[in-house]
Amino acid sequence: MSHLLDLEGVSKRFGGVQAVDQVDFHADQGEIVGVIGPNGAGKTTLFNVVTGFYGPDSGKIRFDGNNLVGLKPNQITKVGIARTFQAVRLFGAMTVLENAMVGQHPRTRAGVFGALFHTSSTRSEEERVQAKAGAALDFFGDRLSPRLNSLASELAYADRRRLEIARAMATEPKLLLLDEPAAGMNPAEKDGLIELIGRLRDEKGYSIVLIEHDMPVISGVSDRVVALDYGKKIAEGTYEEVAANQQVIEAYLGKSATQGQT
Amino acid sequence: MRAALSRDNVRAGLIGGVTVLYLALVGMIERFQDRDVITDVIGLGTLLILIGLAGTGYMASRPPKPRPGRKPVTANPALIGLVAGTTAGVLAGAVILILELLISAGVDVRSVLASVTPGMLSTMEFGLGPVGGALILVGLGAALGAGAGALRLLSDQLRDTVTFTLTAVLLMSLMEPILSAVLDGLSLPDRWLYEGGGLTVLGAVLTVVAAGAGRWFWKEREPQRKEAVALLPADRRTLYRKLAVFAAVAFLVVLPWLVGSFISDVLGTVGLYVLLGLGLNIVVGYAGLLDLGYVAFFAVGAYATGVLTSPASYLVREEGQLFAEKGLTNFWVALPFVVLIAVIIGILIGAPVLRLRGDYLAIVTLGFGEIIRTLVLSDWLAPYLGGAQGLLNVPPPPPEALDLRAPQNVYYLILVFCGIAAFVAWRLSDSRIGRAWAAMREDESVAEAMGVSIIRYKLLAFAMGAGVGSLGGVFFAAKIGSIFPNSFGLLVSINVLSVIILGGLGSIPGVIVGSAVLVGLPELLREFAEFRLLIYGAILVAIMILRPEGLVPNKRRQRELHARDAEAELSVIVTDEATS
Repeated sequence: MSHLLDLEGVSKRFGGVQAVDQVDFHADQGEIVGVIGPNGAGKTTLFNVVTGFYGPDSGKIRFDGNNLVGLKPNQITKVGIARTFQAVRLFGAMTVLENAMVGQHPRTRAGVFGALFHTSSTRSEEERVQAKAGAALDFFGDRLSPRLNSLASELAYADRRRLEIARAMATEPKLLLLDEPAAGMNPAEKDGLIELIGRLRDEKGYSIVLIEHDMPVISGVSDRVVALDYGKKIAEGTYEEVAANQQVIEAYLGKSATQGQT
Repeated sequence: MRAALSRDNVRAGLIGGVTVLYLALVGMIERFQDRDVITDVIGLGTLLILIGLAGTGYMASRPPKPRPGRKPVTANPALIGLVAGTTAGVLAGAVILILELLISAGVDVRSVLASVTPGMLSTMEFGLGPVGGALILVGLGAALGAGAGALRLLSDQLRDTVTFTLTAVLLMSLMEPILSAVLDGLSLPDRWLYEGGGLTVLGAVLTVVAAGAGRWFWKEREPQRKEAVALLPADRRTLYRKLAVFAAVAFLVVLPWLVGSFISDVLGTVGLYVLLGLGLNIVVGYAGLLDLGYVAFFAVGAYATGVLTSPASYLVREEGQLFAEKGLTNFWVALPFVVLIAVIIGILIGAPVLRLRGDYLAIVTLGFGEIIRTLVLSDWLAPYLGGAQGLLNVPPPPPEALDLRAPQNVYYLILVFCGIAAFVAWRLSDSRIGRAWAAMREDESVAEAMGVSIIRYKLLAFAMGAGVGSLGGVFFAAKIGSIFPNSFGLLVSINVLSVIILGGLGSIPGVIVGSAVLVGLPELLREFAEFRLLIYGAILVAIMILRPEGLVPNKRRQRELHARDAEAELSVIVTDEATS
């Protein structure tokens, strides 16, 4: 069976630091994969390599029949991978609706001529963009939809995180990469997030890869968990398997701590 | 009272006093006194002194900005104004008194301070002699400072009305050349309003009443008005909007016939900067690419027009001949080609700077602007572009009736160009392209992650900006008739950038108001030409401090700036609570 996203022996080095080291990684259609690891393990770098912000030094990345190596970030979004950012990065001076409308960019084509003369195809495209952006916002119930004309910078923190996801949804992806979606959330919001990620898969049919430090969230949503340390994949399997893995425990607690226990 | 006597307030007073003295010592107050604000009552020079003293009190009594770890000092704003204003008055009075003493002791003060003339001293002393003058400066400082500080105690609406009314009187007086020309043009009497270059007393009183009452009721009815507008059915609202646009266009069309030749000429210059501003606004305001070499596109437009239409162009001239019978083609045929050439050059200039952001981009574009000017001046291109001798005899656009020696015709030409440019800018900003630019301006990497091709949209911004800027060049070439490299210096780029920043980045009305203030106002104050750059600089500094979002800001940018202020205040409160 061929995977939706398939990384083979991917490496990325920054100067003396091997940020990602010979990583094999895959995600299947409809799967939720959790990526864990201590700070600096190379998780976000892995996302940046997949989404084209960094080119890999070596290795193959295939997605849905496309070779991603050498593609630009905007081209990768177009073939169906959308992402959120670790620190919320919204377009602060744009409204909530406009943020989501930007997400529709790769699915539309109006150019200068259409913009200047409001051709009928441009007009219907604009209506479609608004409708789809609105639908992505509606997914979050009454959190975002009543605030369509608020500026993104005026939203509460948790709503900003929601809007980031809505903006990614508006690109109509097949695969969604979430970088620490639970950061800064309180326990109730984390429960809401677990439910939301499940709905994203079940209702929207997305495959999801998420980086997360919060173990209840990881265990609550992941079909499979991958652990990274010093850029290397050190464990893979169900949450229980990975959580029990000796190397993973060492990576989180430090070797001496585990030695002290035994 | 002790709180009001703080070091900050005394310092504000000293700054105010130094400002007034500076204006006096560079000769500005004396020169401005030649112009009356209200004839036989108050001159512009005296008004400058009064504004200086009142402004000191007003600025000093600003509510303090919350700073972490510092408890805000609360004092009566009127007392703060009193302290600051009196300090300013004492300083100014003392210096004037010292100057008088030096002069009476036979010291040749004017060998150092050339502007210390009897006229200046008399203006500063309000004609009351040295001691009386010093005393009145102190008294006025105290009264005006306290009065301006007391404005802070008024309700927002009342304070807004007072400042609006005072500004209206000043503007009515400054616009005397325009308005009296308009009244003359309509063969209406104007003696009741203006006399001897300033407002009459009656005119001033009428202005105060009209502006004050108008502003008060405008503000008073604002909630109801907004509600009424919100209740209007959508088709009615579009109808009213169309009517408003139509009225604005009609006004712009009849304007030159109302104001006469001189003002029409000024309007032509303002229009040129509106046009250039609209183009640069696409690059800087929409796409967020700080371009300091915008003059390059202006130059390309002008030279391309010259080469395509002038009989002196190398394309039509025989060897050894100075002029051919006529140019290659006429203005209107050349126009689309010029824009096309500019768009291509825009892309060529844009391509190498795609990887650069912010400051680096600014420096490189600055270089490109200079390169274009140097190229034009170079021996290498001299046979084609005329070098330092320039490119002469650029013919005006046909038909003959469109005689560009008449300022009104110049105005209409630039009005049409500005209309096209504004339409293009508006439609682009309100489209998929505009959204992509806005996203790119906010966060380039995230925009890219949302599928926006950074390369394509940066090049598009440069191309569009270049196209509009070249229209300015086309107009300039046709109007002036000869093109010299000196017209395309760095100062043009800086002026255009100032216009759009002052007006409000990303705002089309802002470009228009910015040009009117920065280009039009100095033209109206032409009699004070030697102080033009000083006024220009002062306006820029004042507006950037008092209204960083610009005069007619883009709504979003304004909201965002203020949201940031609110956030900063919130964080101060939070840290204060944490530390206490």
